[in-house]
Amino acid sequence: MSSLLDLLAQHFSWAQNPVVLARQTLAGVSNGMLLFLISAGLSLIFGVLRILNFAHGALFMLGAFIAVSATALLPESAGGFLAALIGASAGLAVLGAAIETGLLRRIYRAPHEFQLLVTFALVFILGDAAKLIWGREDNSVAVPALLAGSAQALGITFPTYRLFLIGVGVAVALALWVVLHRTRWGVLVRAATMDRAMLSALGVNTRRLFTTVFALGAALAGFGGALAAPIVAVGPGLHVQVIIDAFVVVVIGGMGSVLGALVASLLVGIVNAFGVLAFPGLAVVLTFACMAIVLIVRPWGLFGVPE
Amino acid sequence: MKWSLWVFLGAAVALLALPLSLSEFWLFIAIEVLAFSLYAVSFNVLLGYGGMLSFGHAAFFGVGGYAAALLVKKAGLSAGLAFALLPLVAMAVAAAFALVIGFFSVRRSGIYFAMLTFAFQMLLYTIALKATPLTGGDDGITGLKPPGVLAQPLVYYYFALAVVSAALYVLYRLVSSPFGYTLRALRSNARRVQYVGVDVRAHQLAAFVVTGAFAGLAGAVFALSSGNVFPGWLNWTASATPVVMAVLGGMHTFLGPALGAAVYVVLEVLISGRTEYWPLAMGVIIVLLVLVMPTGLTGLLRR
Repeated sequence: MSSLLDLLAQHFSWAQNPVVLARQTLAGVSNGMLLFLISAGLSLIFGVLRILNFAHGALFMLGAFIAVSATALLPESAGGFLAALIGASAGLAVLGAAIETGLLRRIYRAPHEFQLLVTFALVFILGDAAKLIWGREDNSVAVPALLAGSAQALGITFPTYRLFLIGVGVAVALALWVVLHRTRWGVLVRAATMDRAMLSALGVNTRRLFTTVFALGAALAGFGGALAAPIVAVGPGLHVQVIIDAFVVVVIGGMGSVLGALVASLLVGIVNAFGVLAFPGLAVVLTFACMAIVLIVRPWGLFGVPE
Repeated sequence: MKWSLWVFLGAAVALLALPLSLSEFWLFIAIEVLAFSLYAVSFNVLLGYGGMLSFGHAAFFGVGGYAAALLVKKAGLSAGLAFALLPLVAMAVAAAFALVIGFFSVRRSGIYFAMLTFAFQMLLYTIALKATPLTGGDDGITGLKPPGVLAQPLVYYYFALAVVSAALYVLYRLVSSPFGYTLRALRSNARRVQYVGVDVRAHQLAAFVVTGAFAGLAGAVFALSSGNVFPGWLNWTASATPVVMAVLGGMHTFLGPALGAAVYVVLEVLISGRTEYWPLAMGVIIVLLVLVMPTGLTGLLRR
């Protein structure tokens, strides 16, 4: 019995090390913020368009690839990274609007299986398009010089870029809150997640609303991809895992809820960061088990609204 | 009625004579077509008849594949036993998984049912990936050979043909039975069926378990012919395969998905032999399919 306790104590010895705790918390929260940028869009799109966009991870990946190109064009300058962020957001907003008007608009009335198939097809089309344009290699993007350092607090070293990610995530969350709660467009978006037929009956131009929501969701994914570029390997397989994490977040947080996406993103980010220490290999299994439990017990998620 | 009998007899003769004219490469493709036909038809009993969009049916195909692989690799069956046992064990294991997953999943309907089955598939995928001692982890289980005389491709083709035909016959009897008509009614209006006094969940669960079992059988047939099982069989990128096959062939006929499976498999062989951008081609095909011919190939023929 005591040997078991010893084993446990040994296994969890990292839990007494403040440096490890702080480092993992920072990694978890900053990864969670990146996850939030993808899942906020995924969640809004499902809430308003009622379409489960499997291609959202591919949009994130395209944002990261655009960052690769932008920083290659303008190397060694803060301008290059800024151009990457702006270019990825704008480029994906345009692509998103094109996808919505050219493709998704035709299938809103189609059965679920057709909608899922189309966003699935987009995954393969965008994935291969990225291979055609950027090749099959993994690329890396340098952290901009301004953010490359580290900060010291309480004797613990934090990489500046991770802190920057958290700051950006908070800023985006606040901006989204203001847009959704203080603008007419935001009111329409929230109304659409509750009752689209009623909104349409009241004379609102839902077509334009759908296009702008999808474009915003795509832009957020592209922005997230560009932000993630300096801390991930930017290659053609990037989207495969990203979309699954975002999917888990949206299910747990509640489809259509941005607040839910934020809370669940931080939760999943932190659970993953500590899960790899506490239960190596089992953390992913636990995530999907959590997702299944939420779907069974509360399918509209923690912050969603039951239909 | 007579007309369809002739078609049936013609198809039977063609399927029996087919392997005699095929090279070994195409013989393996023919076996793959048989396995995926069963996979697609069983999936479509759920979607086309029952209106239940499972987005996690690849789980059962994969579980059947792993069951067959472990049975051959670890238990070392003789050919005689394998004939009888392999299909039964693969089906029983897949059915057991389908029973647990289905028990929870049929509590939800529509898109939430799809997401729930999807979540369970991903759960099994991560287990296949992490339970290395049993499943070989990322490397999967490779170098499988069907036991005894079954190792000859020609014999294995006839074995697969017999197994798949028998399974399709059982599924056909199922959809033609009162149970099958209850499923159709559930697709049209589940609430009304419930008001008549039918236990909706029990029927949906039964359909889920039966189709899961046959998907497992299809996975087993394919695993031993291809010689490998990989965790990728259960990954989310595999979720759409049976859906594409069913829609491509036509969801509203019994054998339409089998036609879809045949076309899909042959297209994959032809296209991926020429270019590495098969996913791109498949994506474009799916988009065209949904936009231009949503009733599938059998829908075109009927028109």
